[in-house]
Amino acid sequence: MVYYLIVCRSLTYAQRTAAALERAGITAHILRSPRAIDREGCSHSVKVSERNLANALLILGRVGLPPKRVYLIAGDGSYKEVLL
Amino acid sequence: MIYLDSAATTMQKPPSVARAAAYAVGHMASPGRGGHPAAMKAAETAFACRQAAAELFGVADPERVAFTSNATHGLNIAIRSLVSAGDRVVISGWEHNAVTRPLHGIGAEIITAQAPLFDRAGQIAAFEAALDGGAKAVVCNHVSNVFGFILPVEEIAALCRERGVPFILDASQSAGCLPVRQDRLEAAFIAMPGHKGLYGPQGTGLLICGSDPAPLLEGGTGSASIQQTMPDFLPDRLEAGTHNMPGIAGLLAGLRYVRARGPEAILRRERELTRRAARGLAGIPGVHLFVADNPGEQAGVLSFLMEGKDCEEVGEWLGQKGIAVRAGLHCAPTAHRTAGTLESGTVRVSVSDFNTPAEIVCFVRAVSELART
Repeated sequence: MVYYLIVCRSLTYAQRTAAALERAGITAHILRSPRAIDREGCSHSVKVSERNLANALLILGRVGLPPKRVYLIAGDGSYKEVLL
Repeated sequence: MIYLDSAATTMQKPPSVARAAAYAVGHMASPGRGGHPAAMKAAETAFACRQAAAELFGVADPERVAFTSNATHGLNIAIRSLVSAGDRVVISGWEHNAVTRPLHGIGAEIITAQAPLFDRAGQIAAFEAALDGGAKAVVCNHVSNVFGFILPVEEIAALCRERGVPFILDASQSAGCLPVRQDRLEAAFIAMPGHKGLYGPQGTGLLICGSDPAPLLEGGTGSASIQQTMPDFLPDRLEAGTHNMPGIAGLLAGLRYVRARGPEAILRRERELTRRAARGLAGIPGVHLFVADNPGEQAGVLSFLMEGKDCEEVGEWLGQKGIAVRAGLHCAPTAHRTAGTLESGTVRVSVSDFNTPAEIVCFVRAVSELART
């Protein structure tokens, strides 16, 4: 299964992001950002499935919660940044 | 004990508050400091608390609700974010030392908008006149912690908006029983305790940030850790160090109680109790009451004096009878100076949603007994 990580500036922002997605029926799971993608040192991300990413970005744009960055978790466990 | 000192802290809380705090002690870790279930449980509780507060106080974005340790903490952040030495700041004549001491500490020029007790129109006119001289900020309490006077803060906030002056509201005595709405006030900051009208545990408070604050404390936030300055985003900017999770969990339970009960219903009950106390005290010879002619101008706080008796002695005597009130200056010499009671102080009775008419009857009976001695 392919997942995307939406990197957020803070835990509270990640919680708002996840809440907005859950309200729209998109399963969203908050986790600490893997160090490999965490440029600032300590942040939280929201994990969504591949099929939900486009809709999730649309919803986040609509509610004024733009993601900081988005990463694809590849099958080999590596992370690839998605250009928004 | 009959507890009539809720303006200091509400000691009687909904049972859910103690349960939530106890649960947090055993089950919640530090929010944002780990991905494990105990940290995430704490994170969910903290977020739920911010959300509940944001909904109650008309804040669009829960990130702008910061946890503080009390209202004084929040007021210090607010004042120090906006005011520098020499700045002209307008305050009401009813402020607490939580406002005046930071202003004195900074070296601000303090202008007091003086008006008589329970004179809302006079208070608006006084602010209008004071603001004509310009101001870097206005700091105003919503309800006097000594006299229960409800200040016309929506009108004062409007005067500030018209002039582009940042408005700081001290909602210490109003949060939970009066409408405190950021969407209407558009305040720079609203500071409030969590342990009074919101029925949370002591050591809790909230700061609603309409403006960008400067941190009072610096340290770890669980975010942007490489950066050696505090994050520029809320709430992390104001929340260095480990959160008071038992307090926050208890505060969430308190907020849920207030929202379920409704601030209007709480105010109605507190007013009924205060008016009952006032009616009873008015019939006792030698008692001088500070009571508004219009009940709409006073919340659940009532001050009085007894002829020929020191206010502290009255408080002590009532304490021995099992009735808790507060006497003296109530950390608000400015308010006592305005009312002309700086020399005498007053005895203050302050109620919560958990007091009963029977308790007020006992209290009045005790004062009546004291008056006869």
